[in-house]
Amino acid sequence: MATVNSEFIKELEQSGTDTGAECFNCGTCAAICPLVSDHFPRKMIRYIQIGAEDLILKHAQELWRCLHCGLCTQTCPRGANPGEVLMTLKRRVVAEWRRS
Amino acid sequence: MSDAKQNSPENAPAPESLENKESQDQAKVGVYICYCGGNISDHVDVEKVRSRMENVPGVAVARTNMFMCSDPGQELIMDDLRSGAVNRVVVASCAPSLHETTFRSAIARAGGNPYQYEHANIREQVSWVHHGDAATDKATRLVCAATGKARLMQPLEPLRVDALRRGLVIGGGVAGMRSALDMADRGIETVLIEKSPYLGGGVSRLGKLAPYGEDAETVVRDLAARTLSHPRITVYCGASLSSYGGYVGKFSIELSTTAAEDEAPSPGQYVPGKGVGGPMLPQNIALETGVVVLATGFSSYTPHTGEYGFGENQEVITLPDLLQKLSEMKDEKGGQLHLDGRRIRSLAIIHCVGSRQIPGVHEEDENGHLNEYCSRVCCSASINAANTIRESFPDTSVYELYRDIRTYGRGQEEMYAQASANRVVFMRFNVEEPPVVRRIAGEYPLEIEVKDELTFGEELQVPVDLVVLATGMEPAPIHDLVDMLKLPVGADRFLLEVHPKLRPVELPMAGVFLAGTCQAPMDVGEVSNAASSAAVKAVSLLGKGFVELDPFVAEVDLQKCTGAGACVDACLNDGALKLVEMEVGGETVTRAEVTPALCLGCGACVAVCPENAINVNGWTLRQYESMVDMIISDVAFEDSGEAKEEPAVEEETAA
Repeated sequence: MATVNSEFIKELEQSGTDTGAECFNCGTCAAICPLVSDHFPRKMIRYIQIGAEDLILKHAQELWRCLHCGLCTQTCPRGANPGEVLMTLKRRVVAEWRRS
Repeated sequence: MSDAKQNSPENAPAPESLENKESQDQAKVGVYICYCGGNISDHVDVEKVRSRMENVPGVAVARTNMFMCSDPGQELIMDDLRSGAVNRVVVASCAPSLHETTFRSAIARAGGNPYQYEHANIREQVSWVHHGDAATDKATRLVCAATGKARLMQPLEPLRVDALRRGLVIGGGVAGMRSALDMADRGIETVLIEKSPYLGGGVSRLGKLAPYGEDAETVVRDLAARTLSHPRITVYCGASLSSYGGYVGKFSIELSTTAAEDEAPSPGQYVPGKGVGGPMLPQNIALETGVVVLATGFSSYTPHTGEYGFGENQEVITLPDLLQKLSEMKDEKGGQLHLDGRRIRSLAIIHCVGSRQIPGVHEEDENGHLNEYCSRVCCSASINAANTIRESFPDTSVYELYRDIRTYGRGQEEMYAQASANRVVFMRFNVEEPPVVRRIAGEYPLEIEVKDELTFGEELQVPVDLVVLATGMEPAPIHDLVDMLKLPVGADRFLLEVHPKLRPVELPMAGVFLAGTCQAPMDVGEVSNAASSAAVKAVSLLGKGFVELDPFVAEVDLQKCTGAGACVDACLNDGALKLVEMEVGGETVTRAEVTPALCLGCGACVAVCPENAINVNGWTLRQYESMVDMIISDVAFEDSGEAKEEPAVEEETAA
């Protein structure tokens, strides 16, 4: 059970400009990702939309399996920039780890 | 009836003269068989049917074409008529509802009588349901039957009914005003009646219209001002229909007052949420009109108590309520939204409330109805409202909980994209596991628990200050009108047009049209288009000052009629048949008389007459007998060595 937090996306903007606001969950990025299965990177963007920071931290290992090949960004039909969103998330997670 | 003399008894030809004419005018039937581009010819051996038809008595020519309804196909028929090779036409093609009119008008253009025409349906009734030799044989028999009827067909003249150049529009919303203006601008005197004291209907309760952001108040004010000032439009508010009779061109209507005059605002005055005041009907009046346009509009679904917490929590409201509140505060901007003195930090809109209901899942209303249709406009209205709030009050979060998003029109997908960019958070639920709204003791008054399919089935808790239910559209409660005008109603309880594509704004009764949301859920743009098209249909019907109707109505043979009256009892349309005193052969006797404009041509009277004294023109008993004889006859099958008997029906049988 996760509680939706609409403030999280505002906090995340401090770690980078791309937060995937345009994403409407079509799943094209997840279909093309050659490295990580299980709805990646769409799942990460969805966690941002609902503000589920704990779920992002829980699945943070997946972020480091991403090689930034750019296929998701290239195929995204909405220009939501999934590759850049992952960079933003990495910065945020690293900051979180340093803090703890 | 003086308006339609065509079939009055004194004009009815005596049976002897009919048959004399028939013997003079030897029937030469042209048979035209369509390939329908493979639709028919893939299953029916069209050329075989043609060669068989050449054996059939009375058939002068038999021809085929890839598309009989095309210009070259029609030319084939017209050439044969002009050269005198044929004087009766049978076309074997698709369902008559599609192209019967096409071929009748081709015959008229070639100088023939458009009612000496018979249509055989060898597509829907043959090639779409049979294949192989059986299909070819069935097609042959159907075409044979058509030629059997065609040989006995008399030239008929259309019924001509005088038409008043006046229209009545029922309903003073956007659809009604649009129809009235379009009719009046084209020279038709128009009476617009509205039950409430206000013009504007459902649109007066809206704010910014999706997707282009026009102001609803401006739209209503503008239309009402033009309607009220138009010299050819008479507006009666607080008026409803109390009686209805007559037929196309001359409906007799009585109007009665529905509201006391002192409740009404002064005409032209705008009242937010209600519309523009119109002149009240001073007393009950009677009037006559040529056409009736129905623009009775819609009402919004009212959630039952407990549906997503509605009626139990004051923080649960409907989308129309929210839109009205927003429209009252359209100049406010910045920070958080405040409604009724409460700050709204976050709100959730739940889609498909009272739409797309499923038996066994949703609760029926008190009359056992479920709204199984999609209301079409609520997705766009919800997203439009979400955008308005996010852009005007950026500190208020908006969540949209949906089953499916249908932003179907031009400019509406862009609105959805804008909502994403505005960070409206969408969540998708399964109809089997709908969101649960509950009151919580905490910072927020309410919490929604939803199993979100976009987050892969994660159970989410959404704390909110306000829950908005996007309620669907239902037809307005017009049971009295439905009963009085005998209107056809669909399974969804909206009024039902003749055909959604071929005749989208017409009803089966001539002269009655549909405009707007009385027919189906529509947005304001679609309503305006529908209303204009109803107006155009009405104007073109009344334009000539008379209306021509098909002559397929009952006709009494006064030589045989004994005034038994069984036909009058059987008649389905009050007033179409009655017993009257008349002079026949120097004696005053009681005989049946038809009012052609009211006759439906159903044939109920024909079935019950003990003397066979009544017939429906174009569908006489003799023609039916001839069709049956031809169906059982094997005359067309000579090439296959089957029985070669002549059909029982012959010119001498007819004579």
